[in-house]
Amino acid sequence: MFTRFEEYAATQMLGQPDSPPRSEGKLFFSEEWQRTVFGMALALSKQGHFEWEDFRQHLIHSIAAWEHEACDGETRWNYYEQYTMALVAILEQCGILKPGELEQQITSQEANK
Amino acid sequence: MAALFDYEENREAASAAKVRALEALLIKKGVLGSDSVDAVLRHFETVAGPFNGARIVARAWVDPAYKGRLLDDTPKAIAELQFPGMTGAEGEHMKAVANSESVHNLIICTLCSCYPWPVLGLPPYWYKDPVFRSRGVREPRAVLREFGVPIPAEKEVKIWDSSAQIRWFVIPERPANSEHLNEAQLAALVTPEAMMGVALVPVPSTT
Repeated sequence: MFTRFEEYAATQMLGQPDSPPRSEGKLFFSEEWQRTVFGMALALSKQGHFEWEDFRQHLIHSIAAWEHEACDGETRWNYYEQYTMALVAILEQCGILKPGELEQQITSQEANK
Repeated sequence: MAALFDYEENREAASAAKVRALEALLIKKGVLGSDSVDAVLRHFETVAGPFNGARIVARAWVDPAYKGRLLDDTPKAIAELQFPGMTGAEGEHMKAVANSESVHNLIICTLCSCYPWPVLGLPPYWYKDPVFRSRGVREPRAVLREFGVPIPAEKEVKIWDSSAQIRWFVIPERPANSEHLNEAQLAALVTPEAMMGVALVPVPSTT
C-alpha cells in the first residue's frame, strides 16, 4: 500500500513505543547528530542491509531497557541516544560493524581533532 | 548545578561524536553514500509534510472555484497542484471538508494509522490516544474546548473518522483581516492542527 519506503517506515512507528519526536507535523531534531542518525538507519534499511521491523525491535528493546534502568530519574530521556544504540546493535548483528570497531573509530577521530 | 550542566553537555557531545564516527565508518566501508542521509530526509523535509496541506488550503482560500473542485474531487484537485509527493496511495483516498460559519469539522481516527500525512505531516502524539479518539466521538465540543476552540451552540460540529478508505482533512475558515496577504503568506498561517479541526487559523497581525 505504501509506494515510498520513507512513508512505510515512519508510519510503522507512529503510535508505537518507538515513535519519533515531532513538532507541527514535522520530525523534530534538537541537534544535527539526531537528524544524521535517523537518516542513516532509514537509508541503510532502504538499501536492504536490514529489515526495518528488525531495527524497530532493537529500538523498542533499547527504550524498554532505559525505562527499566532509569527509575532513579538520573538519566534524562533522549530518544536519539536509544536510537543510536539500536542502530549500532543491528549493524553488529548483521555483521556490518565488528565489535569494538566503532569505539576505535571514535578514539582515532577524537585524537585527530 | 554546574556539574549537571557539564554532564548534559558531555553527553550531547559524546552522542554527536559517536554518530559522526559511525557515519564516517559506514562511508569508508562503502555501505553508506555521502548523500544518503540527506536524500532520505529530503522526503520528510520537502516532499511529504504539512506544507502541502497548507498550500492546498491557501489556494482554496484565494480561489473559490478551486475550493469547489477540492470539495468535489479532492485527489483530482490536489493533483492540479502537482506536488511531487502526492502520487502515493495515501494521497488517493483523501477527502477535504470545509469549515464555515455554520459548520466546524473535526477529524479523528478510531481505528488505526489512517492519517493523510503527505498533506498533514506526522500526527501529534495525542492523535492515537484512545481517550482522544473515543472522546472525540462522544463529546467533541468538550474536546474542542480543551484545545482552545470553543464552538458556539448554534454551530454544527461534524466528526469525520478516517479509515483506510477515506482520509479526511479540514479546510479551515480563512481568518478575518487577511485580505492583504498573498497565497504564500496565507499558507504560512495554516497549521496541521487547523487541518485536523482542533485549532483555528489565527488572525494575522496587521503590522
